[in-house]
Formats: sequence, C-alpha cells, structure tokens
Amino acid sequence: MYHLASGFYEMLTKKDEFNILILGLDDAGKSTFLETAKMKFTKGYKGMNLKFITTTVGLNIGEINISGVKLSFWDLGGQKELQSLWDKYYDESHGVIYVIDSNDRDRMNESKELFDRMIKNEYLSGVPLLILANKQDIVDCMGVREIKPVFQQHGHLIGRRDCLTIPTSGLTGDGVEEAIKWLTDAVKRNGILRPPKNMT
Amino acid sequence: MGGLLSYFRGLLGSREMRILILGLDGAGKTTILYRLQVGEVVTTIPTIGFNVEQVTYKNLKFQVWDLGGQTSIRPYWRCYYSNTDAIIYVVDSADKDRIGISKDELLYMLREEELAGSVLLVLANKQDIEGCLSVAEVHQALGLDALKNRTFQIFKTSATKGEGLDDAMNWLSNVLQSKK
Repeated sequence: MYHLASGFYEMLTKKDEFNILILGLDDAGKSTFLETAKMKFTKGYKGMNLKFITTTVGLNIGEINISGVKLSFWDLGGQKELQSLWDKYYDESHGVIYVIDSNDRDRMNESKELFDRMIKNEYLSGVPLLILANKQDIVDCMGVREIKPVFQQHGHLIGRRDCLTIPTSGLTGDGVEEAIKWLTDAVKRNGILRPPKNMT
Repeated sequence: MGGLLSYFRGLLGSREMRILILGLDGAGKTTILYRLQVGEVVTTIPTIGFNVEQVTYKNLKFQVWDLGGQTSIRPYWRCYYSNTDAIIYVVDSADKDRIGISKDELLYMLREEELAGSVLLVLANKQDIEGCLSVAEVHQALGLDALKNRTFQIFKTSATKGEGLDDAMNWLSNVLQSKK
C-alpha cells in the first residue's frame, strides 16, 4: 500500500526533465554562461569564481528548476580534438545552446563552419536552437545584427525548428535570464517531438 | 555516528574536503600526493595500504587519501568512499596496454552510490614520456563520453616534472568551493 501511495505521489510531483547541450568553440564562454545561469536560477548557490574558470576538457553539469520543469545542462569542451565527442550527446538532447565569442572576429568563420556541421547532424534535427552572441561586455565586439547573417547563411539547415539569437554576457549576466527562459519555453513546445527524459 | 558528526562540522563551515587519489599501480598517485604536499619529487615504492596527508591549497584544506593500486588491493578502495568530495583518478598515459583495465576500474568505481555526488578529476599523467596518449585519446580510451551526470575534467600532468598539477588543483579548488 505504501509503495502504491508513494509511487502515485512521485508520479504527481515528478518534474519533466530536459537535457540542454552547450556547445561552441573553446573560449567562447560556455562554462561561464552555465555558472552564471546556475547562480541566477538557484537560490543559495554560491557559484564558482568566474575569473578562475579554465578551459574545459571534460564535462560540466548543472541543473536548473524553472517554470515547473528541470533543465539538465551538459557543457562540453570546445577544443578541436574534443569536438568529435559532441555527437555522443546529440540524440539525448532536447535543446542546444551555441555560444559565440562576439569579439573574436578571426575565428568567426571557424565557429560558423562548426555550427553548420552541428546542425546538419540528423540526431539534432528539429531540436530548438539558441545562439548566444556572447561577450557583449567587450566594447568593440560584433553585435547581433552583424553576427546573425553569418550564421544564417545556411538557413535551410536550421529548418523549421525554433531558433533565436540573443546578445549575452556570461560575465555580467546580461541576457542570461532571457536566454534560459526562451529555451525553456522552446523545449517544452517541442516536447511532442522530443518528449522529456522521464517520459521515454 | 561519524556521518552525523561530519554533517555538523559541515554546518559550521570548517569542514575539510576529502579527496581520494585512485588509479592503477604505477600510475603516479603517491608521487602526485607528495608533489602537492611538499612540492618535491619523493622516491616512492608501491603503496600497500594507503598514504594520507593534509594538503592546503589556496586556503582550502584537503585531506588526501592515496590508496594502493595493485590488483589485489583495488577491492578495498570502496571502504574509503563515504563522504568523498572529489576523486583524483590518475592514469599512466604511456601505459597503452593497461588503459583498458584502468577504464574498467574507473567505470566500476563510478557506479558506487556513495560517490554519486563527488567531482571527478582525471590526470593524464606521465606526459613527459614520448609517444604517450594525448588528453583526447585518454578521454576516448576511458570511455568518458558515457559519463553524463557528473562534472569532470581531464588535465595532462607530469608529476615528476611538476607540470599541470597547478592547473588541475586550481580547477578542483574552484569547483569544490562552489559546492561548499
């Protein structure tokens, strides 16, 4: 009887869970963005010192509870030799955040090619996509208006999925809340195509 | 009772971080421990049993346990798992023959419930040896892409030359500070 009751209780209170993948070139600001997002949405979480965040060779995880669902983040390393590991996470992801260093004009094309390769992957088809024009705190950086056209050259690959480009600064926190809220709504909407983790 | 005590100590905020250094025999665990503690290379013999030292790094106090890595004593690792904040897993990057065994031991260990909340730091050690595996190769060989519910990071190190350990410890203390 207890098991029945507790099972029932669990079923009623269990939150839908979505996996969010954070990708982009190394030093784009992926880990900093995740830490800032965790700090903004988790009460009492102290967070890491953003100045000491180093190049990720591995995985950072994070969880955020927002508007009745749970988002589980995977922040992966962006260095060239680590990019081949990304696709191991694709089929379990419900949403992708692609982070761009808006101040790195030299690598903009490299980032764009990487982006194209990623969205071409069939395991990611239809998955909501959030593009962050990050590091907007740097004075001379490229704005969204400049970056957006670069990444939309291959618009047909993006297809009919939800896709949005937002200016952010992981360091100052500008745009972070807006970004997470948009993505939450998008993965919920897409739940028919990619049901939450606990439903599969 | 011990768990209760450490819980109260945690409330007071002065709890020492508990770290285990694990890995196959000959990976360099003891050399790393004493590199961290005294900053020198010490001559070591295979550890039977364990070495435990207190290490202070950037105002954070760690109690570091270095457990012997030979096949016969690996089953005893699990006796030390409770209340572990972080695992430093040391891999001999030049020992290509045994990296598969190292992978199995790692995955076996990470299945333990007691370690569910601990952070993983992998050290691809012995990078001073020519022809050793790169960080990405170690990542692949250890099957770390299957690890999806735990924060982890790999660093390349050379314990005898003292390279890479600073970066690794900086990362670890920063991550642990946020968990405190």
